[in-house]
Amino acid sequence: MTPAFSLSGISKRYPHFALQDISLSLPEGQVMGLVGVNGAGKTTLLRLLTGLAAPDAGEVRVLGHRLPEGQVAAKRDIGFASEDMRLYRTQSLRWHMDLVRRAFPGWDDDYAANLMQRFDLRADQPLEGFSHGQRVKALLLLCLARRPRLLLLDEPTTGLDPVARIEVLEALADVLRDERRSVLFSSHNTHDVEQLADAITFVHQGRLVASDDRHAFVDRWRRLLCQGAPPEGLSGWPEIASVRTSGSLVELKVRQWRDDLPERLAASGLQVQREEAMALEDIFITAVRSGAVA
Amino acid sequence: MKINFPVVRLLVIKDWQLFQKQLALYVLAGFVALCFIGLGKPWAFYVGSLMLIIVLVASACFSISTSLLVERKDKTLAFAMSLPVSPLDFTAAKLAGNLLTFAVPFVIILGGTVGVVLATPLPDGLVVYSLLVFAWIAFAFAVSLAVAMSVESEGWATFAMIGSMVLINPYLMALGQVPAIQTRIAQDAIVWTPEAVGLLAVLGGLGLLVLAATAWHHARKPAFY
Amino acid sequence: MELLLSASDPRPMYQQIVDQVTARVMAGDWVPGQALPSIRELAADSGVSVITVRRAYEELERAGVIATRQGKGSVVAERADLPGALMHEELRRQIEALLATAARLGLGRDDLHRLLDDAAHDARNPTTPGSKP
Repeated sequence: MTPAFSLSGISKRYPHFALQDISLSLPEGQVMGLVGVNGAGKTTLLRLLTGLAAPDAGEVRVLGHRLPEGQVAAKRDIGFASEDMRLYRTQSLRWHMDLVRRAFPGWDDDYAANLMQRFDLRADQPLEGFSHGQRVKALLLLCLARRPRLLLLDEPTTGLDPVARIEVLEALADVLRDERRSVLFSSHNTHDVEQLADAITFVHQGRLVASDDRHAFVDRWRRLLCQGAPPEGLSGWPEIASVRTSGSLVELKVRQWRDDLPERLAASGLQVQREEAMALEDIFITAVRSGAVA
Repeated sequence: MKINFPVVRLLVIKDWQLFQKQLALYVLAGFVALCFIGLGKPWAFYVGSLMLIIVLVASACFSISTSLLVERKDKTLAFAMSLPVSPLDFTAAKLAGNLLTFAVPFVIILGGTVGVVLATPLPDGLVVYSLLVFAWIAFAFAVSLAVAMSVESEGWATFAMIGSMVLINPYLMALGQVPAIQTRIAQDAIVWTPEAVGLLAVLGGLGLLVLAATAWHHARKPAFY
Repeated sequence: MELLLSASDPRPMYQQIVDQVTARVMAGDWVPGQALPSIRELAADSGVSVITVRRAYEELERAGVIATRQGKGSVVAERADLPGALMHEELRRQIEALLATAARLGLGRDDLHRLLDDAAHDARNPTTPGSKP
């Protein structure tokens, strides 16, 4: 089965930023969440995947097409919406829908009407009257109504009010029904990623920090509350991402949980009192701050 | 490298639809200018011809600025590039679209001007002279379009547009210094002197060359960014 | 078909799915042999990732609540005593937790029996709130 996309050994250099040695792929039918701080490289990665930018080194393949040579064929099956994309202010949503319908295969009028209703958008109003949230939803509608095989979304829920955000997430969830459709969306809102993503990729400073299926992250990372005195060099243990103390209470964030860890900690003088899973947001922040691989 | 004609056509139509109302206004203003010229009185002639030049220059700049500069500033470029187009298609569409939105009012007004000159008591020598003026505007347009397509900076593109158009003044003065052209203006006959024909050929040729070089340069880009 | 999942529930999503499906079966809402929605259908309807639903279904299958047939989806397991069996399973888990807590408090078997008798007595004769037990 062809992967939805694959990046091999990608490098891309800009005056003040560089993507280095990125290798990443997404099997067909999966949803991947791309998490990273602003400026980490998410937008550049997405541009490479839509053929808008060409890599300095490495190979980009999307839906079986090599980019940027095959970008026209690839773009027919890709739905791309990014945070800095704007529609033509003087025109209406209906004008844009006509343009998209004629430029792309697979437009579904009924589905578009359904989305318009769910998103509460007016077809014949000039877009300059739209609020930020309405503009984002309009962009998404233009992508979703074509049912593209690959959706590449740059920060689809950023800046949306809670109601609009849920509307967008519910529309994205529709894509899950079809095993041939895949989604890559970037966000710095880890809650959205946690809910919908099958696989999660962290990028930081132009490098791939980690990429795995979401349960693997949740299974590997733990937060431990311990009693005792932390031994020398505890923060140097490869499994330990961070150590914090408050009196005789010690909080450990573990990046590589193993069942024998409590024993080994006990042997070093730390009694594990509580063990809990970490939310993705916490994992991400800890990984970035501890400056190492997640 | 092949061009996707259906999508290019779609892009050109898109740009046309975005501007058609304003273009109609420019053509209308051009006709008003022609009415002034047609009155035959010296003052009306000056007013009309000045207005005509302004209309032509403005519509040329308008076409370039809305289809290229504003699109970059308004960030609608990203949306256009997400359509199934290659950089080659996009360049072709912008070139074709701009030439179209410039050429339509240009040709209409040119035809109108020639018609007015021939139909009214104005000396027919003005036909050759006005063609020389129109030729300069077309040349300035070609240069401005080439610059606007090639630079990222709105400032430089605007500078090229205004600069090349403003140079029409020294151009007209220089024309006035060439006796072969100057003496024919007031004559009531269309005379194609070698100087006039040569000038038309040079301006036309240079304009085409500039556009062709720009198109070729852009078509070789594999990706937009 | 939609399950009632919540992001603010402290249990992980797959656990919520497992618990709700189990609860429906225990209550008799879903009968043995009844087809479950496909993994993708449930994922799309509930707004949860496919991998999470898949994990929940795997757990449910391991626990014997559902059975998955190759290429034909999942159904509620064909065990006549399934609701009862599940409730016994739940009880066993609670007893284990009880014993673990008691051990941490250092209570012996007799103390536990005494606590059980007291609790049963209180359950039969509820005291009004505010009065001493």
